[in-house]
Amino acid sequence: MSVIEHPPIFRLPGIPDHVTYTWVVMAILAVAAFVASRHVALVPRGLQNFFEVVLEQFQQLIDDVIGPEGRPFLPLIATLGLFILVGNLLGLVPGMNGPTTNLNTTAACALVVFFSYHYIGVRKQGALTYLKHFMGPVPLALKPLMFVIEIISHLARPLSLTLRLFGNMTGGHILLAIIFFLMGLDGLIGWALSGSPIGAVVGGIGGLVMIVFTVGFLYPLKILVSFLQAFIFVMLTMLYISGAIEEAEHHGGEHHPAHH
Amino acid sequence: MRRSFILAGLAVLAVPGVALAQAPAASSGGWIGPFAVLVAGFAMAFAAGLCALGQGKAVASAVDAMARQPGAAARIQTAMIIGLALIESLAIYVLVVAMILLFVQPIK
Repeated sequence: MSVIEHPPIFRLPGIPDHVTYTWVVMAILAVAAFVASRHVALVPRGLQNFFEVVLEQFQQLIDDVIGPEGRPFLPLIATLGLFILVGNLLGLVPGMNGPTTNLNTTAACALVVFFSYHYIGVRKQGALTYLKHFMGPVPLALKPLMFVIEIISHLARPLSLTLRLFGNMTGGHILLAIIFFLMGLDGLIGWALSGSPIGAVVGGIGGLVMIVFTVGFLYPLKILVSFLQAFIFVMLTMLYISGAIEEAEHHGGEHHPAHH
Repeated sequence: MRRSFILAGLAVLAVPGVALAQAPAASSGGWIGPFAVLVAGFAMAFAAGLCALGQGKAVASAVDAMARQPGAAARIQTAMIIGLALIESLAIYVLVVAMILLFVQPIK
């Protein structure tokens, strides 16, 4: 990947690029949060208004997926969503490096999700009850098999969260880099500026077509993918949390009609 | 006819191996590297095609359901997006494997 991608313009010596740009994302979010909450007013204006709208969207989503008992997890979910979204969008700024295009960042986010939803489930139901629900509603003889299968499927969750975000972001970046490389933007613009009249016509038109194609088609696509991947990460997090919380009630609900 | 196509395909697949057998000093990586490039390309082609089939099926039934029940369109859309993400992640695994083959090259 380093063969076809340009290094970012801003690097700290001795520190990997994705760590530097994770700090950039953290700084952006911290400054925005500080400015938004500096003068908290009952009737919000400006940045405070914007953040209240964003967080109300997150809360709406949590109410839809988890239900009212999911409200305490708003900080976790909204922080993950905003971090991933800003990280995805930062990768689109020329000269910047998106931290989510590195496997380590996405693995860190996925591991946070993995450990926190198990922690939430154990806190809510107790360790034994939580473990018992790994066995599922199957006959006794099948329970050990079901347990192993459930363990594997739970272990696959952080893997798939990691690889989905990383693959989508990195794939998009490689696509952009390959299109720049294959269509020869550098060469076309250099030809247009070289002074020869044919070069000015061909290179100018070619470079213009490429810039219009990139800005008009690829960038909106990548912005859409950035929002979509952040949404999907947050959505799956909420589904996992709701699975960890609701398993007890769901299980009881299945038993209830059988007794009548 | 079909056999000749298969033979032609095998010949194309074998070209980098033959070319490198004639000039072993050209690349330091041996014959695995060129095959890795070919395999990465074919893997992405198969993965993208089959993933498009699956996603097309999912979107078709989601649109069908939305046309029948316009009131439930928002919830159907959410479910569709989650399903699309889960289907797409399989193709993304192939992309990751292709990138490992191309850029990391664990087997030389």
